[in-house]
Amino acid sequence: MTYTVTAPITDVLDQIMASIPLFKPELLLIGGFIATIVSALFVGKRLRNFTFAVYLLTILITIYFLQAQLPTVATGFSGMWMIDPLSTYARIIIATGGGIIGLFIQQRHKLGNNGDVYSILLAAILGMNVLCNSSNWILAFIGIETVSIASYVLVGYFSQNKAQAEAAMKYALFGSVCAAVMLYGLSLIYGLTGSLDFQSPEQLQGLMVAPEPILTIALLFVFVGIGFKLSFVPFHVWSPDVYEGAPTAITAFLSTIPKIGALILFTRLYTAWSSTAFYFSDLTTSFILFVSITSMLVGNLAALRQKNIKRLMAYSSIGHTGFLLMAVFAYQANYPYLLFYIMAYVLMNLATFIFIDALEERTGSTALSAYAGLGRKMPILFTSLTVLAVSLVGLPPTIGFIGKLLVFTAVFDTYQMADEGAVLFLLIVGALTAVISLFYYFRIPFYAFLKNNESPDIVSSDSKILVWLGYVLTACVILLGLFPSILLNLITS
Amino acid sequence: MGALSILIFLPLFAALLILALPSSLKGSYRYIALVFTLAQLALSLYMYQQFDPTLGGINSISGYQFVEQIPWIRLDLGQLGKLEIDYFVGIDGVSLPLIVLSSFVMLMSIGASWHVEKSVKGYFALLMVLNMAVMGIFAALDFFLFYVFYEVMLLPLYFLIGIWGGARREYAAMKFFIYTLLGSVLMLLVIVGLYFSVVNPASGAHTFNILLMMNPSNYVDGSFFGFLGNYHEVFGVPARLVGFIVLFFAFAIKVPIVPLHTWLPDAHVEAPTPVSIILAGILLKIGGYGIIRVCYSIFPDIAADTNWWLALIGVLSIVYGALNALAQKDLKRMIAYSSVSHMGFVLLGIASLTAEGLSGAMFQMVSHGFLSAALFFLVGVLYDRVHDRYIYNFRGLANIMPTYTAYVAIAFFASLGLPGFSAFIGEAFVIIGAFNAEAMLTGVPRWMAVGGSVGILLSAAYFLWTLQRMFFGQTRLQGGEKWRLALTDLDTREKIVLLPALALALVLGIVPSLIFDNLNASVIQLLDTIKPYL
Repeated sequence: MTYTVTAPITDVLDQIMASIPLFKPELLLIGGFIATIVSALFVGKRLRNFTFAVYLLTILITIYFLQAQLPTVATGFSGMWMIDPLSTYARIIIATGGGIIGLFIQQRHKLGNNGDVYSILLAAILGMNVLCNSSNWILAFIGIETVSIASYVLVGYFSQNKAQAEAAMKYALFGSVCAAVMLYGLSLIYGLTGSLDFQSPEQLQGLMVAPEPILTIALLFVFVGIGFKLSFVPFHVWSPDVYEGAPTAITAFLSTIPKIGALILFTRLYTAWSSTAFYFSDLTTSFILFVSITSMLVGNLAALRQKNIKRLMAYSSIGHTGFLLMAVFAYQANYPYLLFYIMAYVLMNLATFIFIDALEERTGSTALSAYAGLGRKMPILFTSLTVLAVSLVGLPPTIGFIGKLLVFTAVFDTYQMADEGAVLFLLIVGALTAVISLFYYFRIPFYAFLKNNESPDIVSSDSKILVWLGYVLTACVILLGLFPSILLNLITS
Repeated sequence: MGALSILIFLPLFAALLILALPSSLKGSYRYIALVFTLAQLALSLYMYQQFDPTLGGINSISGYQFVEQIPWIRLDLGQLGKLEIDYFVGIDGVSLPLIVLSSFVMLMSIGASWHVEKSVKGYFALLMVLNMAVMGIFAALDFFLFYVFYEVMLLPLYFLIGIWGGARREYAAMKFFIYTLLGSVLMLLVIVGLYFSVVNPASGAHTFNILLMMNPSNYVDGSFFGFLGNYHEVFGVPARLVGFIVLFFAFAIKVPIVPLHTWLPDAHVEAPTPVSIILAGILLKIGGYGIIRVCYSIFPDIAADTNWWLALIGVLSIVYGALNALAQKDLKRMIAYSSVSHMGFVLLGIASLTAEGLSGAMFQMVSHGFLSAALFFLVGVLYDRVHDRYIYNFRGLANIMPTYTAYVAIAFFASLGLPGFSAFIGEAFVIIGAFNAEAMLTGVPRWMAVGGSVGILLSAAYFLWTLQRMFFGQTRLQGGEKWRLALTDLDTREKIVLLPALALALVLGIVPSLIFDNLNASVIQLLDTIKPYL
């Protein structure tokens, strides 16, 4: 990275002006951010859903701009900002997910003036876009912090009792420490290499000649920050408490969207760093293998003991993160299966949380045992939830299966070329944890259909839109499982 | 849409129809299921009648009949090559008898479910989805498609056992699911490996086509499961051997072989009668079918190397299953273990690698299919009446249920391999095959044939002993007078379900060519592909 301080100021200005079109969706998000704040302040009291409308409009226009950006491969702002189809698709997924989360919040938290929450959501989306579009450590850090701060606020935003406030506090404390550690690691890397762009030759050369002990510390410190956002083992300890404590709409947000941005960043980092024959590449590769395997094992095994569905989903998402890292590991300049798995994951998780929330509203509980005998009262809802469980395990005919198959395919290809025992181990762990996960995902239909409960007390609910959205998402899970080409051809074209 | 697709998806329409009808019409669900299953049987009989027995199938597409091949998923994965998945179905001599058997057993199962009262809608819908999955498994010629059907089969079974089962149903349902899934997730890895090793010569893309996987010339040089000059090893074991073992493991769980059989007694005992019928009558055959269609056809070289071990496992299952059956005090458990023993013959026959043995194994699968269905139905008759099936709680049933006793006696004699019944043909051919194997130099020693014969002897022992304990002598019932009143003889519906099965056992015992004729070409062709590696 060469900062153009020596260039004449007009050149710099020209470059910035030329780069602005690349920044259009993000500019729009910034505009939307301000607009929602203003609207929440002045209009929110009279027109209840006006802020939400502004939010949705912002999201829709952003998606429109993003899809117009699809074929673009470019860099701007002196190489700080880069755009390629991978990032654009990821941002479309993020924005779409953000839209669904917005609707989720709007439907579930109708009391009081909640307009601010939409501006926070937009800020989080902006932060994730930054993560997707940068190979510069400064921007990456800014992105991570934007997402983190927005997430802290979201977790605490609706807190009504001690547990929820505690969740927010835990999250903020853990997050701040991780950010500090990461920043320290970044400073070490900058000191060692004199460059802040992890894809730049300068940084790679610097890493090649750096002394091993200090390099190990620097790299691991940097991974701490990313690990916190992705919540892979051993930086996962915050997630079960926070998932359980946060309102379900926010849990749905935390378990899906922030991971996408961090994952894209990690993918770029891994591709850039793992390709040499030097110590830091070996370290990166070993790290991802280790983390992927332990996340799958720890996530799935710990989930076995959970009695609360939200905690269960927290551990399940740790397991899925391990699987996503497997996809990152096999990433070789083609992204369809990585994006496909991300999409599958987001789809399954959002739908699952929508149903969990609907059930929480009706039974007043997120304990698995509260579902006993409900299968007959709400057959369609629980059938959908069972379909989602099947997809989360990774069985056909669902999108989860296709996602798994594609990742296995990619990893197997790597194994065939590298012929390393560790990769084979990764594959076997990936396959066997599916069997483990069957145990706990199938607790849901187990309680709902197999257990009897003569008089389950449920209250009726009026938020029909959400449940219907859940059904639509579930239908997509099956449809895309049977005809994945619809989505895959879109990504690859 | 060809006849085969209609056969596969007919039950799906039935399931959708049942789901769409309101609960007020719940009396009609069983009739819908019945009509659709009857149509399916008619269609499968039509296919049986149209089938050209001279075509072998196995590894040549031209030898398959009722073939349908439609591109399903086409995807360019860049560096990973093109993904090529087809909706590809067809039948040959191996799958035809099993398809006819499946539609027949399904019909028996619908007959047995006539008085189900708990959540009728869900019950029949699940039964129909299961029906579709089973047909799909026997017809699929694309590994991806096969796998999809294979897994889809698990879900309805989990719920059918788990919701409509007996006292320990949750445990049994989960155990069954976990066992099968354990086999199939590892199978998925092998499928991926095969996908990378095989190239469709026509399109140059990697493929999931099972038939293309059977041709050594389609393998990429140096690929993971490559035929020639394959240096790949997994923890010191040659890759092709590992692939074979993993696939065999997956199907062996279904067969089931000793020691992977422990799910079976639990699942059978806890499952409701109709599901037991399907489990024993159809699902165990998927194991045997998978070994022939997938393990032996795709890995003929390994099949030739390992058949001694497979035959040994077969003999062990025969003897161990029979000894266990002898020791059971629960009638249903006894029949479940007799299934383990009888399916051991299938494995022994396949592993003998002789034409007699393989044909015998196929024949045994069909024969065991409807005989075990009849046996489980007969247990269900007793259980429906007094909710007990403990052997020692009954004595002298012949005095109060003469017709029932006659049916049981016929079913028992047919199952224990009395000449004139179908099981005799199957078991005799397997033993002949195993005996000839030494002369044919396939590596299966004669003492294994002897081991198989011991199994027949033991099966006579446990069936006859049970007959004596439960049906003969003075009538003495655990439940006293209440039971005596409850134990009415067979009604018309039960006779209608049982008669065809027992008649079939007799017909096939006398005219085995009804099955052998269609089978022969396929068996010869399979052996021809394995012979060069012996």
